[in-house]
Amino acid sequence: MAEITATINGRQVKAKEGMTILEAALESGIDIPTLCHRPELVPIGACRICVVEVEGSRTLVGSCHTPIAGGMVIHTHSDKVLATRRMIIELLLASHCGSCYMCDKANICELRKIAADLEVGLPRFQMRKNYYALEDISPYIVRDLTKCIMCRRCARACREVAGHNVFGIAYRGFDTKVVVDFDQPIDKEVCRDCGVCISFCPTGALGKPREAKEEKRGKPLIITS
Amino acid sequence: MSKIGEGITPQSQEKRDLLVLLERAQSRSGYLSKRTIAGLAESLGLSISEVYGVATFYSFLSIKPQGRNVIRICKSLPCYLKNAQTIIEGVQREIGIKPGETTADGRFSFELTNCIGACDKAPAMMINDDVHGDLTPKKISQILKAYK
Repeated sequence: MAEITATINGRQVKAKEGMTILEAALESGIDIPTLCHRPELVPIGACRICVVEVEGSRTLVGSCHTPIAGGMVIHTHSDKVLATRRMIIELLLASHCGSCYMCDKANICELRKIAADLEVGLPRFQMRKNYYALEDISPYIVRDLTKCIMCRRCARACREVAGHNVFGIAYRGFDTKVVVDFDQPIDKEVCRDCGVCISFCPTGALGKPREAKEEKRGKPLIITS
Repeated sequence: MSKIGEGITPQSQEKRDLLVLLERAQSRSGYLSKRTIAGLAESLGLSISEVYGVATFYSFLSIKPQGRNVIRICKSLPCYLKNAQTIIEGVQREIGIKPGETTADGRFSFELTNCIGACDKAPAMMINDDVHGDLTPKKISQILKAYK
């Protein structure tokens, strides 16, 4: 493939034709945060966290899905880019379920990590939150859709990585949600125990059921002296 | 110019035909039943959740049984600025149901929808395939009389 030269953050960078801006940046040691994108998946540019400034472009572009071209002048961390990323995270947090203190996935949460990296605190916007009942009838997976940020990584991983097609995206606007069959709780009939989507979920929306027996059904510890 | 959906048969096997097939099923039986959705998913090689997703995204498709006549009032900005709220309330008073509901006699379903492209005649509504524009609360009962 033909090699091209572009400028990222004032530095000359070599890249191969067909690479995305994100791939080229990563290869030259420039870190761009991503949320809906994973290298294993086809990029969809849904979350906009990876936006960068390309000189001459009317708008910021999503680096995960925009091919790099020779002569491009790209800024990955300009004031405008950082302000935009912060606003996106703030909006995501505003419609996210609530307090991280209540979440057992808080410290493996990508949303929270990016918020911390970008120094975003409590969102300024107070808005009503969707309530979805916890789906815990499956022995393989627990879904808590109040924590879902609609990145669609679960649906794409199920289709593109696991080779199943369990999830669909239903409804519209603020009501949009990831559904199973006719919007019913995920059970062991539609989804087996491959667990691929769980590892792809960036938040605490998908998880493995906690085994009560491990915590409660062991032999009581009796100390005799 | 070819008509939309021309050449797409009920036996069609292409995923890209989904929307046209859903629209046809809807106009045949008034709504999209679970059986219809599952059947389409099966024949197109899609999952039920994908077909359900498309069926619930479009406001002109319905997964609930509909009345014989479907009233759709535009809730977008131009109609809003021309007092669509008074029309919504007027229809509500006239047929006694709220948006999203169907009258007990099955005569009307009532829904709010996004722009129907009749901004020049705002506030506007559609009943089945007919557009009614420049509405005032007074005109409502006269218009509804035509739909039995």
